[in-house]
Order: sequence, then structure tokens, then C-alpha cells
Amino acid sequence: MTTFQILLSSLLALLVLAGISMMSRVKTAVVGNLLSAFALLVGIVATLLSRQVFSAWTIWPALIVGAWIGSLMARKVKMIQMPQTVALFNGLGGGASALVGLLSVAGVGFSTQQSASFADGSSDVFVRVAALLAVAIGLITLVGSLVAAGKLHRLLPQKPVVWPFHSLFTLLFLLLTVVLIVGSACCSPASFGGIGGRMLIIGIVVCSSCFGLWFALRVGGADMPITISLLNSLSGVAGAIAGMAIGDIFLVAVGGIVGASGLLLTQIMCRAMNRSLVSILTGGGRRKNSIKEPKLSEEMLETEGMTKETEQELINRIMDLEKKIKELEEMVRSLEERVQSLNQQVDALPAASALKEEKEEETPSAAGVLSRAKDVIIVPGYGMALAQAQYQVRQLADKLESRGARVRFAIHPVAGRMPGHMNVLLAEVDIDYEKLFEMEAINDDFAKTDVVLVVGANDVMNPAARNAEGTPIYGMPVLNVDAAPEVIICNYDLKPGYAGVENPLYSREKGVYLELGDAKETLQKLMSEMA
Amino acid sequence: MISPFILIAVFIVSTVLGYVIIRNVPSLLHTPLMSGMNALSGVTIVGAISTTGISLLSGGGWLSQVAGMIAIALAAVNVFGGFGVTHRMLMMFHKSKNRSPEGQNSASREV
Repeated sequence: MTTFQILLSSLLALLVLAGISMMSRVKTAVVGNLLSAFALLVGIVATLLSRQVFSAWTIWPALIVGAWIGSLMARKVKMIQMPQTVALFNGLGGGASALVGLLSVAGVGFSTQQSASFADGSSDVFVRVAALLAVAIGLITLVGSLVAAGKLHRLLPQKPVVWPFHSLFTLLFLLLTVVLIVGSACCSPASFGGIGGRMLIIGIVVCSSCFGLWFALRVGGADMPITISLLNSLSGVAGAIAGMAIGDIFLVAVGGIVGASGLLLTQIMCRAMNRSLVSILTGGGRRKNSIKEPKLSEEMLETEGMTKETEQELINRIMDLEKKIKELEEMVRSLEERVQSLNQQVDALPAASALKEEKEEETPSAAGVLSRAKDVIIVPGYGMALAQAQYQVRQLADKLESRGARVRFAIHPVAGRMPGHMNVLLAEVDIDYEKLFEMEAINDDFAKTDVVLVVGANDVMNPAARNAEGTPIYGMPVLNVDAAPEVIICNYDLKPGYAGVENPLYSREKGVYLELGDAKETLQKLMSEMA
Repeated sequence: MISPFILIAVFIVSTVLGYVIIRNVPSLLHTPLMSGMNALSGVTIVGAISTTGISLLSGGGWLSQVAGMIAIALAAVNVFGGFGVTHRMLMMFHKSKNRSPEGQNSASREV
């Protein structure tokens, strides 16, 4: 490889970096994407030229077929299917890297000059290990992504699938893959060329594929965004390592960039969910240790080093408080009854008919609350994606705005099945992105707003996350929906979300309106009632 | 053949650069960004093309040709599909940006 080629590779890698950094701002994102694509195109042409393979006819039909299928899918796929599409593409990239690794470990595809340098054995082991690593990581990416895509496309069960001795096998396959790669590094070139080498390669293929299958099957719905992001990072790493095997700087650089940024994105999401990557890969260990609450509070006190007496005292006080709350609740109920009976008496008066319209507005209904609101925050979740209710959400937002209300959207970092899932869906229906707020930016405003409208979100606004220790969502930052005076919940049902934790908001007595059913229909109903 | 050390150095440098650049991305753009990154991971097409091409020209067997062609096709789907999908997504953000002034005007008029 000449100096010129190295310079060109670096330049292209810088172009890719520039493209990515432009993609991190909305205004320059489109140009950034085109820039990265352009850099990649130049990279392909440069490879064709520098390796002098223009005349290799087999390249062209494969390239054309792949490009045709890819473009077709890019145009036809629905926005709602975006997560599985990204997962699928990602897997294919990983598969390609694995094949490149296989080819180079078979010693195919090196120019004579390169092969000559192998003769002294200096870079032989390096190439072999790199190629086998590319095979392993590429296959993990391929199989893992296919499983993820299958789950997102509902071909496979969305719930975590756990086979007997699942963790053991997962670990075993990973260890075996590593051991086999290390083992092959220790082989002499002669012995690796024989049947033993082939067995090693087959072993690596089988073990890494099984690892991909085992770990991806265990991931459930809500952890999907993180898994996809991780697989995305892995496919970059697979590419980079394949690049090491065949000695292509451009491939190494871009693969490295993708791998690192994918990993960072994964980290950001893990933090947002308050979960460690390891616990996701090993099946979210914390869910198993969930302890029943009373036992838990006792344990908590003990660990804080309190004596039995203070403990008892505290428990007594809590019980007293609970009693008082119950008394107060009963007082409220009796007051409400009195108000009702008074209302009925007033209704009986002849002048009541004139007042009837006003009175109707007074009875609390979700639609009434919405029509009076001047400041509304909408919280979308995976349910909105499932019901494809983003169009209705848009209509409702328009309607509210036409009445002079301010409408904002609160987006939890892990709402949906993919990072930024909600943003894409809302952008699809032309909702201005300046109305979309990240959790940190809007969380203090929930207390000040008039109404919060929840559309198909549960775990991301479950107040239990703050205090239900031992549950999978404990400690996860949530949207402060419970701080709002009025909350309208358009969820399909009241079942706990993926995390399996009851949402205390559902049973709040005041200011919560449950509109259960398909969000498309409930939103439609809300709109018609508002009119 | 480039020295392994240079390759590893390039890998490390690009990893660090990638890490630094992504640090401050708003979650609004996570999906398009991830999808763009995903398209980029199809860069392995470069490797597939060179391996397959050199193999054919130096008289490699049909098995390596088949494997190579599959690799190229898979990577091409990744690249073209990835960039296409990303572009579509980003255009949606663009569209909503252009429309926002209108929307706000009409809202304030009706107030």
C-alpha cells in the first residue's frame, strides 16, 4: 500500500467522522449522512482501483443485486418497522465481515506481494487471529441481529426466552469461542493448515453462532434498544477486525469509529435505564432477586444499623400515618357524596336547566380536562408505536394548539424499542422537533403543567421506580408524570409494563383519567368529545 | 502488507475519535444516528470486494467466489439500505422543521 493510499484512507476516515459529527445536529444531519455515504462510495471506488480488481466480473452482479435489494427495502419499509430493519441490515453487515474473515483465514484474496510477506511467518499469526475474531464477532452480530429483528417483527416471542442452564451455556459458548481462537493462535502454520485447523474454524463458527443465539433470545422487549445498539457497535468492530486481517486501513478506521460510537450510545442508554450491560446480557439478574416489599423494608432498616426499638417505632408511625390517610380519604368521600346530593337537589330546581351546560363541563372527564387545558405535555411510549397512533396524537396536538394551548412532548430516553424511536414516529407525522423535550429538560415542568396525556407509556413514567426497591426499574430515572395535577392515560390495559411492576398512578384517586383500549380509538374518542 | 502495529494504532485512534464525537448527541437523533452508523458498518464491503476480486484474478476456487459474492451482496444491502433509510428518517425531521413557522402562525391566528 502506497503512501498515497494511506493518505486517501485517512482523508476518507476523517470525512466519515465529519459526517457523523454533523449528524449529531438536526440542521446538518442530512448533509452529514450524505457526506458519510459519499466517503464510503469513494472508499469503494478507491479499493476497486488500488487492488486492481475492476476486471473481476463476479463483483458486479453481487454488488448490483445487494444495492438493488438495499435501496428497495430503504424505500419500501414503513417507519414503524424501523427497529427491525436497522437490526436486519446490521446483521447482514456482520455476516459480510464474518465471510471476509473466513476467506482470509483460508488464505484467499491476498495479492502475491502480501502472500510473500507471510512466508516469513511474521504477520501470519496476526492475520489468522484477526480473521478468526472477525468470523466470531461477525457471526455473533449476524445471529444476534436476526434474533432481535425476529423478536421486533413478532416472528419470535417478545418475552425473554430462557432455556435450561441458559446462563451456563451462554458463558460456555463465549469461553469456547475465546479458547478456540487462542488455541488457533498457538498452532504452527503447518498444523493449522491441516484437518485440525479446519476443525478449529468450524468450532469457532458453531460456538460464536450459538452464543449470538443464546444471548439474544434472552433479551426481552424493553432491553431491545440497548441490544440493537450493542450489536451495531459489534458489527463495526467485526468490520475493523476484518480490515486488520486483510490489511485495509480504511476498513479498520471506519469500523473502529462505528464500534466506539455504538458502544458509547449503548452506554448512554444503559445509564438512562439504570441497568448495567452485563445484567442485560445475562438476562437482567436483578429481576430474579426482587423481594417482597414488607420483608424488604425490614431488611433496609436493618442494614442501616437501627435498633429493634427505633424500627418498631418507625413501623408504628407509618401505620399511624396510614390510618390518618384512610380517615382523610373517607372524609373526602363523604364530602363528595354531599356535593353529589347537593347537585341533585340543585338539578331539581327549575332554574337548573339554564345552568345545565356549565354543569356538564364541571363533571370531570378526560375530554373536559383537555379542552380547558392551557398547557399540555404528551408522553408517548411503545404503545403509541404498536397502535400506530402517532397520527391521532398529531391531530389531537393540533386541536389543542388551535384552542391556544401549549403542547409539548416528553421523550424518555428509552421509550419505545429503539433509541429515539418516539422522535422518529413523531417526526413522521410532522410534529416540530422543537416541541420534543428530553427528560432532563422537561421533568420539572410536569408539576406546572395543566394536563399530562400518556399514550402507551408505562414503565418510563412509573413512580414506583423511585421507591420500589428490588424491582427491575428501581432507580431508573422516570418522567415525573405523577407530579401533574391531571393525568390522562391512553393505555391498552392496566397490566404492568415490561418490567412487571404495578404502576401506582393507575390507582390514584384524583386527577387520573384512564382511557383504556387501542390508543387510536381512545384518542379519536377524546377528540370527538372535546368538540 | 501494512504492519500489524499500524493497523492496531489506527483502530485505537479511530475508536477514541468516534467516542469523542458521539458524546453530545441529543437523544432526538439517536435513531437516525444509529441507523447511519449501521450503514457505515457496511464498510466491510470494501474488504469483501478486494478479497473476492483478488481471489478471482489469482485463480481462486469457486467456493471462495460464492462466499465472496454473498459477502459483497450482504454488505451492499447494509450500505445502500442503511444510508437510504437514514436519509428518509432525516428528511422527516427536515420537513417538520420547515413547516414549523406555518404551524405556529396558524395557531396564534386562531387564538
